[in-house]
Amino acid sequence: MRLGSHWRRRLTSALTALSLCVAGAAWAQPAPATLEYAIKATYLYKLIPFVEWPPSAFASRSAPFLICVVGDNPFDGYLSQAVAGRRFGTHPFAVRNLRTLEGKPGCRIVFISGLHDARLRQALAAVAGRPVLTVTDSTIDSDAPSVVHFMIEKRHVRFEIDLGAAARNDLKLSSKLLHLAVTVRH
Amino acid sequence: MLRLTPRRRRNPRGHTPVGVVAVGAMLVASWTSVAGPTTAIQDLDKLSLAELAKITVTSVSKTPEKLAEAPASIYVITHDEIMRSGARTIPEMLRLAPNLEVFQRSPSQYVITARGFAGAPGGLQNLSNKLLVLIDGRSVYNPLFSGMYWEMQDVIPADIKRIEVISGPGAALWGANAVNGVINIVTRSSDETQGGLLTAGYGNQRSVVSWRYGGRINGHTTYRLYAKTFHDNAFDAADGSSARDGSSKPQVGFRLDWRRGRDQVRLEGDLFQGSQNQGPAPNQFISGGNLQTRWLRTFADGSSLRLLAYFDRVHRMAEPHEGGFTIHTADVELQHDFLLGQDHHVTWGVGARRYRYAITNAISPAATFAFVPSRFTSDVVNAFVQDQMALGSQLNLTLGLKAENDPSSGTSWLPNVRLSWNPAKGALLWGAVSRAIRAPTPLDTQVVEKIGAQLILAGNPDFSSEKLTAYELGYRQQLGSHVLLSVSVFDNYYDDLHTVEPLTTTVFPLEFGNGMRGHVYGVEAWATYQATSWWRLSAGVYLQHRNFKFKPGASGIAGLAQAGDDPGHHSFIRSSFDFSDHWSLHVDARAMDALPDPHVPGYVELNTHINWRVNSNLTLLLSGYNLLHAWHLEYPYGDRIPRTAYLQAQVSY
Repeated sequence: MRLGSHWRRRLTSALTALSLCVAGAAWAQPAPATLEYAIKATYLYKLIPFVEWPPSAFASRSAPFLICVVGDNPFDGYLSQAVAGRRFGTHPFAVRNLRTLEGKPGCRIVFISGLHDARLRQALAAVAGRPVLTVTDSTIDSDAPSVVHFMIEKRHVRFEIDLGAAARNDLKLSSKLLHLAVTVRH
Repeated sequence: MLRLTPRRRRNPRGHTPVGVVAVGAMLVASWTSVAGPTTAIQDLDKLSLAELAKITVTSVSKTPEKLAEAPASIYVITHDEIMRSGARTIPEMLRLAPNLEVFQRSPSQYVITARGFAGAPGGLQNLSNKLLVLIDGRSVYNPLFSGMYWEMQDVIPADIKRIEVISGPGAALWGANAVNGVINIVTRSSDETQGGLLTAGYGNQRSVVSWRYGGRINGHTTYRLYAKTFHDNAFDAADGSSARDGSSKPQVGFRLDWRRGRDQVRLEGDLFQGSQNQGPAPNQFISGGNLQTRWLRTFADGSSLRLLAYFDRVHRMAEPHEGGFTIHTADVELQHDFLLGQDHHVTWGVGARRYRYAITNAISPAATFAFVPSRFTSDVVNAFVQDQMALGSQLNLTLGLKAENDPSSGTSWLPNVRLSWNPAKGALLWGAVSRAIRAPTPLDTQVVEKIGAQLILAGNPDFSSEKLTAYELGYRQQLGSHVLLSVSVFDNYYDDLHTVEPLTTTVFPLEFGNGMRGHVYGVEAWATYQATSWWRLSAGVYLQHRNFKFKPGASGIAGLAQAGDDPGHHSFIRSSFDFSDHWSLHVDARAMDALPDPHVPGYVELNTHINWRVNSNLTLLLSGYNLLHAWHLEYPYGDRIPRTAYLQAQVSY
């Protein structure tokens, strides 16, 4: 039984370490935007010239071009800063962080992070058939197709494209964009 | 049968793998500073899309979110990790999981378990039998004894998307036999494996040739075809004589994926035939095939419906007809998940499986190993429901219940409760209480073993399930973008564990009984540290303490060792260096504690893999396995596992 008590001590110290970790986490500050997410944010607005939205997507010439970040916001303000003061044609960029897509907020790009399974499918379905470029994150393993899906390939941030999802949302993608994709689904 | 007592060898634990790796790292660091051009975040705006795709990111590889949030001890072996590790077989890939114990017995045979119960070899048919193993949802453990013939399962490493390794019970969602863990092998969709891939490898122990080709039939349909074969040379037995246990196995297969709108359909199949020498025992012939289809429909409200059906045949026969079996499995499963309000994610499902056994009994005047009856069918049906509830923004509660009905143990109720808390972004504290069973198998209930006319061992029709109540607590955290950390502790209470008991007042014959209780507790911890853009370090440790006792009325005739020959701890440290886009080095040191009874010495071993991407189409791999010693032992009555070298060329087109 001496061995047993020895192991019990080890287990106790492991539990102590565990509780210290938890205490540490509770104090942890949110991590600043990483290079990976800064790259993803840059892609988000640099993709725009390669995508054609139907004219009906914009209510007026001065209507904002709304980029919505749904679920977590992994960009930590980087995206808002990057597009501040810029426009797409006559449309000024705006970034909104949303918990859900209910209430049809008029997003032209929806970036989804931190949702999975049914919640992800629900978010994608909420904008299906509307002129919205849906973008999902590399950490999502999804059965529900988005137009653009980020992935990490050989330590580079790349993306996959689903043309079926694009067609359903009435978007046309340039061949140059397809050429840069790792995989193009039809 | 080989009954060799392993010689006690010098305990090689004086070596310090940490030191080896660290020295290697310093050497490397001194002559290379290939961090690549660092890109400042503020410069990104000036880059084109093509330039963005060329920036190297340093984040530790992440697991898919739903797995990262799973309130369970889960380790995900990623495609990238498999590729850089040079793993050629499923057991070699599983060595990457810190929460598994992997023991090699012969060139192609392994025993793999989680949280103990590695089996107790020595003639009493006590086999490792508490894992559920799935390939694309198809259950591949052998239902005759609920254990694995690992040499019968093979997938081209480049076609694997990931392997989810869950240690601890997964019975509520996965079903019976998910007692100590679940291994879920997920292959890549055929649209991710387009084009040709030809692999040829040669080494002093193993040679492999494989070919895969993926193509597109139309805008909705892609496919891949593959063929592979390998040959393993024999190892030496523990006494140094040749174990004469080489093997080879050709295998072919395909996968077809169709997706259109809300529907995705997948059809896949494999076919193999091989042979295994078994030293003085008759050669084994193995063959099998399977065909599987899955239909998935997603609905606008976020719900999804999936229907999985498969047919599987496995066959093993000792030449010439000295015993073997053919098992046909037919399975159909339906699963539906939906959101109920904003806070409930409900998953429910039903499944039915039929096993049809045709056993060729080995009967001779000298020895008999038979199943009575030898031809039979058994049906297993199940239903489950699980609700993942959000209790506020940081707390999640999962309640699951599975009911499973099998002919020998009736209906079993397998509940589990899991609670998880996200105190901060990237941090997860979870706890779980669950119940799981290992249902009786034909080996427990129907076996008859004789030496001459003397009955030695008889199955027990009244054998009941082995039962587990498990308490788990775990913590995972991502620290910045460079460190991932996971710690889990478990406290497992087993009842009605498998024992052998005298059938009458004499020692023989024996029968199987449920005469043991057990308490196993331990810690699993691992961490990955992305030190620089080109250097990744990971390490893990597993510690367990086991305490078993016989129940009142049990004979204890075979001793407590029949609970399994398990180590007290094992650990690893791995270092991956990406010197450039062309060169990478992967160094993997592992340490295994001695096995107590039968005694097998502990060992420390080192694997090294050098990858050279000559150009975008050709990759060369040089691997050294078990480099520290000429040989070591891993499992009782197992072979000497030798130092081996392997060179592989892979051409993609």
